[in-house]
Amino acid sequence: MSDGNSNGTTPMFEIENLHAEIDGKEILKGVDLTVNQGEIHALMGPNGSGKSTLAYVVAGDPRYEVTEGSIRFQGEDILEWSPDERARKGLFLAFQYPTVIPGVSMANFLRLAVTNVRTARAEEIAAEGGSAQPFTPREFRRLMREKMALLKMDDAFATRYLNEGFSGGEKKRAEILQMALLEPKMAVLDETDSGLDIDALKVVSEGVNNLSGPKVGMLLITHYQRLLNFIKPDFVHIMHDGRIVESGGPELAHELEAKGYEGLRARTAEAAAS
Amino acid sequence: MSITADISETATATGFSREGVEAVSRARLDTGAARDARLRAWELYESLPMPQRTDEEWRRTDLRGLKLDRLRPYAALDGSGVSPVRALEAAGVEDAAAQIALGPNAGVVVQRDAGTILATLDPDAAAQGVIFTDLATAYREHPELVERWFMTQAVPASFGKFEALHAAFWQGGSFLYVPKGVTIEAPFRAFSLISEPGAAIFSHTLAVVEEGAQAFMADAFRSPSLEGQSFASAVVELIVEPDAKLRYVQVQDWGRNVWNFMTERATLAQDATLNSLHVALGSKFSKASIGSHLRGKNTLAEMLGIYFADGDQFFDHHTWQLHESPYGTSDLEFKGALKGNARSVYSGLIKVFEGAQKTDAYQQNRNLVLSRTARADSIPNLEIAANDVRCTHGATVSQVEEEHLFYLQTRGVPRSEAQNLIVEGFFRPIIDRVPVEEVQEFLRTAIARKVGI
Ligand SMILES: Nc1ncnc2c1ncn2[C@@H]1O[C@H](COP(=O)(O)OP(=O)(O)OP(=O)(O)O)[C@@H](O)[C@H]1O
Ligand SMILES: [Mg+2]
Repeated sequence: MSDGNSNGTTPMFEIENLHAEIDGKEILKGVDLTVNQGEIHALMGPNGSGKSTLAYVVAGDPRYEVTEGSIRFQGEDILEWSPDERARKGLFLAFQYPTVIPGVSMANFLRLAVTNVRTARAEEIAAEGGSAQPFTPREFRRLMREKMALLKMDDAFATRYLNEGFSGGEKKRAEILQMALLEPKMAVLDETDSGLDIDALKVVSEGVNNLSGPKVGMLLITHYQRLLNFIKPDFVHIMHDGRIVESGGPELAHELEAKGYEGLRARTAEAAAS
Repeated sequence: MSITADISETATATGFSREGVEAVSRARLDTGAARDARLRAWELYESLPMPQRTDEEWRRTDLRGLKLDRLRPYAALDGSGVSPVRALEAAGVEDAAAQIALGPNAGVVVQRDAGTILATLDPDAAAQGVIFTDLATAYREHPELVERWFMTQAVPASFGKFEALHAAFWQGGSFLYVPKGVTIEAPFRAFSLISEPGAAIFSHTLAVVEEGAQAFMADAFRSPSLEGQSFASAVVELIVEPDAKLRYVQVQDWGRNVWNFMTERATLAQDATLNSLHVALGSKFSKASIGSHLRGKNTLAEMLGIYFADGDQFFDHHTWQLHESPYGTSDLEFKGALKGNARSVYSGLIKVFEGAQKTDAYQQNRNLVLSRTARADSIPNLEIAANDVRCTHGATVSQVEEEHLFYLQTRGVPRSEAQNLIVEGFFRPIIDRVPVEEVQEFLRTAIARKVGI
C-alpha cells in the first residue's frame, strides 16, 4: 500500500489522520477519508466544522499548516507538492468562494491552465491515442465555447475578467467550466450548489455528471439533499469539529435532511448509551 | 543630405561649455538665429541653479550619481551608411524591418547617437502637405514653421535647468507637421538610439497637428545596456490645434547605463483631443515631467502611463493636468509595477485655473510592488481656483495577493506564470484603452519579459 504503485489495491485518494491548523488554531483534528476511482462521496456538516478547510488543504493552500497525517493521491504523498503540481497531476478544487482577479481574462487564463495541465500529462494523453500539442488560441476558443454551451454560459464570459462582476451563480458555473476544461481525476466541489437557482442547479449537476465516470473520484461538499438528488453519491460523510464523525450510504443524507445535525447527534448518543 | 561638418576638434572633450555649444551649432550648420538661441539658452543654463532636494519636484530625486562633467556633450553625428535594421536590432528592437516599413507606418525617422540613419515619409502623406523628418533637416527646410513652435509655446528654454541645457545642445529629434484637415491613420514613428556610452543625447520631438487634422505619432527611446554613463535629455512638444486629434505613444527602453530626463508638454486648442501613453521600462534613472495645457475650451486630454522598474532602477514621473479654460476634460491613469530594489515616485497635479468652469479632471495612480525591497511613492495634488468643477484623484500602492496566486496555481499554472498573469492583468485596463493592436502586443511581451527577469 505504501509502495507508491498504482495497482488495483491502492486507493486513488486517501487521507489519513489529517491534522491542520491556521494561524496556530487547529481546525482539522484527524480526518480519515478514502475515495476510490469512480466513487462519488458527499461531505456534509455544520457551518464551521472544517469542510472548506479540508478542501483548501487538499489543494495545497499555503495558509494552512499540516501538523500530522498524510494525503496520498495514486499512492504518492502530495503534501510536499505545490498547488500547481497537484493540479497538473489531476486534482481539482471548485471553490466555495471563487476569487476575483481583475484584468485576467477567462480565455487567456484557461488556455494557459489547460496547456500546463495537458503538457504535464502528455504521456498519458499519448497512451490514450490523443495529442498534448497545445491548442492554438482559435482551437481553444472553440473548445471553450463548446463547454460553455453545455453549461449554458454566454460566450461573453470568455473575454470577461476572472469572476469580476460575476453573480454568485455565474461564479459557480465558471468553476465547473474550469473543471470541464481541465478534466481532473479527483475533484473536490465545495458548495458548488449554493447560490444556484433550480434551473442552474440542473445544468451544473448535468455538467458534473458528465465529468464523473469510472476513472474519476469526487468529493461533493454540500449542505443540501437537493444536490444529491441530481448527483447520486455512493457515500455520505458527516464532519463535526474537524473530524468525520459518521459515514454511510445515501440514506444518511436523507436522515440528516429529516432530523438535522442535532437529531443525528442525539441518535448517535442514544446508540452509544444503549 | 547628411550633415558631415567636423566636430572632431572637441569630440573627446567632456563637460558642457559655451565652446561646446558653438561646436554643436557649427556642426549643425545652424542659421544665425538658431545659433543665437542656443547661446541665450546656454547663458540661462549657467544662471540657473542645479535642482536641489529642497525643490518640491526634486525632493525624492538623488542626482548625485549623475556626472555631467564626465560626459561628452555630443555623440557621433554621421549616420550615413549605417543599416537602420542593424542599428535597431543592436538597440534591442524586435521585428525591426517591419517597424520601419512604410505602409504600416506613414513615416519613419531613425537616429542613432545624434546622426540620422533613416528618414522616410509615405508619398501620399507628403502630397497632402505632411512633413515628417529629423528636426535639424526640418529646421533648415522649413525654418518659419519650426521657429514658430520650437521651444516657444509648450516647453520654453526658461522652463528649467535641464530644459535650458537641452535648448543649448539639442541635436537629434523629429518634426511632424500635419496640415489643416488632413487625417493620417498610420503612425509616424521615430526611434532614438544610443550606440556609444559616455555621451549626452539630446532628442527633441515637435509635433504640430493643425486645425481639424488627425495623426498618430510613436516615439521610441532604445539602447543596449552599455558600460559607462549616458545622459539622455528629451523634450517633447505636442501642439494640437483647434478640433485636431493627436495620439502620442512614447516607449522609453534605454539601456541600464542611461540617465534619462524627459520633459513633455502638450498644448490643446479649442475642441482638441490628445490621447497619450507613456511607457517606461529602461534606463538606470528616469525623470519624466509630462503635462497637458488645456488652453482652449472643450478639450480632452487622455494621459495614460505604464512603468515597470526592476533591479536598481529609479523612475520619477510628474504629471500636470493644467485646466486653463472651461469645459476641459482630462483623464489620467498611470500604473506602475516594481520589483527588485526598484523605486518609483509619482506625483501628479490637477490645476484648475480661475474661470475654467465645468472642468472634469480625473487622476489615478496605482502601484503594484512585487518585492519586499521595492518601493513606490505616490503623491497626488489638487489646486483649484474655479468653483464649478469636478476633480477626482486616487493613489494606491499594493502587493500581489497570495490568494490570487493560489487560485491560479490550483488550475495548474506555475507560480511565476501566475504572477505574470496578475501583473499583466494589473496593466490590462490601460492596455485596453489604447486601441492599437501592435502597441498592445508590444506591451504584453515587454511586461512578460520584465516579470521574468
Ligand atoms: N485564520 C483563521 N484563524 C482562526 N480560525 C479560522 C481561520 N480561518 C478559518 N477559521 C475557522 O475554521 C473553522 C472551519 O472553517 P471552514 O471554512 O472550513 O468551515 P466549513 O465547514 O466550510 O463551514 P461552512 O459550511 O460555513 O462553509 C471555522 O470555525 C473558522 O472560523
Ligand atoms: Mg465552507
